Amino acid sequence: MYALQYVSAALYLAAGVGAVLGLSLPAPKVLSGARWGLAMGVAAQFCAFATLHRLTPAPSLTDLGYALSLMTWLAAGVTVFLVSRISLPGFVPPVAFVAFLATFGAMLHRPEAAVVDVGTTIPHAHVLLASAGLAALGLAGLADFFFLIEHRALKQRRKVPRKLPMPSLEALDRVNRVTLAVGFPLLSLGVITGGLWLHARMGSYFGGSLHETWMLIAWMIYLGLFALRFAGHQGARQAAASAVAGFTFLLAAVVGAGVVS
Amino acid sequence: MKILVLGMNHRTAPVEIRERFAVDATGPVLKKLVDRPEISEATLISTCNRVELVVTAENADAAQHVLYDFFARELGEGEGPSAGQLEEVTYLREGGQAVEHVFRVASAIDSMVVGEPQILGQVKDAYREATEAGVCGAVLARLFQRAFATAKRVKNETGISQRPVSVARVAVDLAKQIFERLDDKSALLIGAGDMIEAALVALHDHGLGERRVANRTAANAQALADRFGGSAHALDEIDRLLPDSDVVLTCVGGDEPILTRERVERSLVARRGRPFFLIDIGVPRNVDPAVHEIDSAYLYDLDDLQEVAAANEEERRRESERAERIIYEEREQFEGWMVALQAVPTIRDLRDRAEAIRRGEIDRFAGRLGLSAGQVETLEQLTNSIVNKLMHQPISRLRDETDREAGLMRLEEARALFGLDGDDPEREPGE
Repeated sequence: MYALQYVSAALYLAAGVGAVLGLSLPAPKVLSGARWGLAMGVAAQFCAFATLHRLTPAPSLTDLGYALSLMTWLAAGVTVFLVSRISLPGFVPPVAFVAFLATFGAMLHRPEAAVVDVGTTIPHAHVLLASAGLAALGLAGLADFFFLIEHRALKQRRKVPRKLPMPSLEALDRVNRVTLAVGFPLLSLGVITGGLWLHARMGSYFGGSLHETWMLIAWMIYLGLFALRFAGHQGARQAAASAVAGFTFLLAAVVGAGVVS
Repeated sequence: MKILVLGMNHRTAPVEIRERFAVDATGPVLKKLVDRPEISEATLISTCNRVELVVTAENADAAQHVLYDFFARELGEGEGPSAGQLEEVTYLREGGQAVEHVFRVASAIDSMVVGEPQILGQVKDAYREATEAGVCGAVLARLFQRAFATAKRVKNETGISQRPVSVARVAVDLAKQIFERLDDKSALLIGAGDMIEAALVALHDHGLGERRVANRTAANAQALADRFGGSAHALDEIDRLLPDSDVVLTCVGGDEPILTRERVERSLVARRGRPFFLIDIGVPRNVDPAVHEIDSAYLYDLDDLQEVAAANEEERRRESERAERIIYEEREQFEGWMVALQAVPTIRDLRDRAEAIRRGEIDRFAGRLGLSAGQVETLEQLTNSIVNKLMHQPISRLRDETDREAGLMRLEEARALFGLDGDDPEREPGE
């Protein structure tokens, strides 16, 4: 399983380097190879996760390193799907590099022993749902980061032609809509299962810890963004700026608070 | 065998001269050319910017005279410059330079608009017509196959054809930066002049969905709409049409802007924030520049488009330097193949000579020694093996030399050393 993790990390790294080369040369075949590399990395990591329980001691998905690794695996999987459907040049390198760092990081900080079993599947459901939500919202943030760059270039009527091809604004906006529509409900379910997990352990749905407080604030922010996007006729640029800001806050809530605590 | 190119293009001859030499059906013309004993194979590339004969010949000097004469009499039909005057408006390339020239033409490095995509198709057509006419042999077939492969490499490995250099194509390129696809988008064209038509052609070529033309003169709008399968409208319908239009092109006369910021903002409310791409090619401008300040509206005027086109052209020039390196590599490889091709008769002569000696010696000694059939067979195998081993090294050296000059020198040396040109004093009569 650990070997598979290393293989997937290597594939992600190769895909990231290949995608950068493919975009900057430009070399479409290298870029296509990078997409396949990313897909193979996703497949290798799936096998790694599928055989996780065979390890002694079996690491837990509730470990922050593994949760991040799971999150980036889901994001990479969704990216593979998206790039096969929509023209999204420039999307593979950041996803591949982040996936590499998360996968490799999870290997560097392997827990000594498994987290004590609480006798329920809720913790894993919480990690899976929250990770899937974060992955989707992370992709929304990435798409909108590109959107803002592209929008700025068009508004400035940039004279110097860019070296790297970019996805169209419409494609990026569509990624934002889809990932927000999928990501927010998943995040909500992740928050709910988190409350249930806490209740099973401590008898309360909210413990007031740094992580829980920040997550709740982040969830409320996303509730507002979700409502504005789908009910309030928010423009694409405002939606993009909001998504980037929202994901930055969410990342701080999950990783920042996790690291501090 | 040498490759020669005689041609004229947009740099060497004005269009009044080029048009006299242009040929529509190249097959019959080429057949006439290869009927001349000096020419082995031929192809004719005839486009609006160039007329070029690509031929192979055993004797380059003799072929040159034939080519100039043929160019003046057959292509020019005697109406253009004479064979003597032709030298001023044409260029002649030989050997490696001719190979490089064909590769540059196919890769669009030699085109008026560097990197333009049409020339490769035109060169392919020229090659196909020559093949169908039966005037294209192994050397030109190889040359053109390598030219197509070189063009593909140049396209894939450089950014030479990626950036549009015409105003209309720049507009389409920008539209593609905003919209993922154009086939489900609609355009509103305000005006019906030449500029609008050029932009409409470019958008039409890229599969734009719906096209609506609004103009002061209804008949002009109708004529343009009919040509491109769109609908014609009056100018007072603009407010109704704007919310459903993704791309708006304007080029009409008038001192006041037709599209004000308020008008566009009203439409954007109806579009629920979906972006607008406005191209204002009118002078004076038809769209209030303040429209560009609206988040979902992207406004480009003629100057903006021209500046992007100029920057793209500069970028293409830079990329063409990388393309030249690829062409040089391919030329080297092709010349290596030509040397190997020229080595074939020498290798064949060498094998024949060795075989003749072997056969002669066996015949001489088999009878003298009174060998049985089995012993003769063994002797055959033995001598065959010795000859093959002796010949292996020199033949490999001749075949594998890729440098043209060194290869030709080696061929000459081999012919002299082994007495392949019939002047060997040791050679026995009848061999």
